[in-house]
Amino acid sequence: MDEEDVKAALKMVEDPEAGMSVLDLGLVYGIALEPGKVRVDMTMTSPACPASEYIVDEAAAAIRAVAPEGTEVEVRLVWEPPWSPERMSGDAQQRFGWK
Amino acid sequence: MEVSPRFRVPLLALGFVSLAFGIAGGLARLSSFEVAETAIALHGPLMVSAFFGTVISLERAVAIDRLWAYAAPLAAGLGGIALLCGFVGAGFLLVILAAAVFVGCGVVVVQRQPSLETVTLLAGAAAWLAGNVMLFEGRAAVPWWIAFFALTIGGERLELSRYLKRAPWVRRAFAVLVGLLVLSPMVPRALGVVLLLLAVWLVAFDLARVTIRQDRLPRYVAACLLAGYFWLGMAGALIALATRYDAALHAFFVGFVFSMVFGHAPVILPAVLRVRFPYHPVLYLPLALLHASLAVRVLVSMPLGAWGNAAAIVLFVLISLSLVIMFDHRQSGRAAPR
Repeated sequence: MDEEDVKAALKMVEDPEAGMSVLDLGLVYGIALEPGKVRVDMTMTSPACPASEYIVDEAAAAIRAVAPEGTEVEVRLVWEPPWSPERMSGDAQQRFGWK
Repeated sequence: MEVSPRFRVPLLALGFVSLAFGIAGGLARLSSFEVAETAIALHGPLMVSAFFGTVISLERAVAIDRLWAYAAPLAAGLGGIALLCGFVGAGFLLVILAAAVFVGCGVVVVQRQPSLETVTLLAGAAAWLAGNVMLFEGRAAVPWWIAFFALTIGGERLELSRYLKRAPWVRRAFAVLVGLLVLSPMVPRALGVVLLLLAVWLVAFDLARVTIRQDRLPRYVAACLLAGYFWLGMAGALIALATRYDAALHAFFVGFVFSMVFGHAPVILPAVLRVRFPYHPVLYLPLALLHASLAVRVLVSMPLGAWGNAAAIVLFVLISLSLVIMFDHRQSGRAAPR
């Protein structure tokens, strides 16, 4: 499994209200791969977002579904640096009027 | 620390007791309907501070993930039970306690990320506390409660609208509205004007303007939001004109706030209760009934419209439960989890 596989898995996890993946929305800050372990750092647009715990679990489940059996998957929620719109993909920027 | 979703269910259930009796009490005001005297007299506190207080503070407790934060929904829920049982003073004090804890949650959120969005949510919490203190003192609580919802929903919408490209003045205009919302409950007619301006801001700049062109859940949520903004503007206009008290209040609480709830539930319930809430177009049915019956309430017949409002809320709860349970059954029937 490589970083592209993890990204493909995260493409399946949506912010339910924006109708776009957390990857396109730029909420994924980092993907670290070690033998037998995947670690993802991600954020939310709001620290008051009650869906954050749920989205983090969804992301972990999506990665586990494509990872080899026994892989340790850790998705951490981070608040620094704060999310900003420049982090969105070209597709997302186009949809939301940035391009 | 994380509180298991299993323990969140009884908190939510406490809130729903207030919802059920609050609605029954409201209907009993308009038609011959047997229900406890307390439910009739305390319709407003039951709906706002006991039901919505429980639900909104539970949602915030889940978001900030602190054990003490759950004291807010617990106190709000128990406050509702105390009110229904006739312990009015105790009930009022419990909802004050709930709001005070909720303000503490707002402080945590601001500390985590100081921004206009989080300060707006904190201001909303403070407005709820102010309203509950007013209630205890026998003064007008409703304008503060209106500010509570306007700030809480407005802050969350501003947050989500950060996905969109907006000119810097749009954000500054929102900041001005927040300041006005904090001050204007002291002059209700001015509050009406501010609500009207907030409705204009939301219609013009909310993410819903984009997501209404998508499909499935994002479009349904956007429909709930945009319909709610219409009633927010209507409520603002009626409050500014100091006319049609029932229509003004229910345009706000039913047309705006409950419409938000209908849109928000499929997004939030999975987070709070860890259940799947699959989208289904049947969700448009209670939404349409809610808005149509509110139009009847405002334009044709208050009691008929009110019964329609209640039916829409009950229908929404039943459809939501059915969708969650049906999905759960489908999943448990499969050999392997996804």
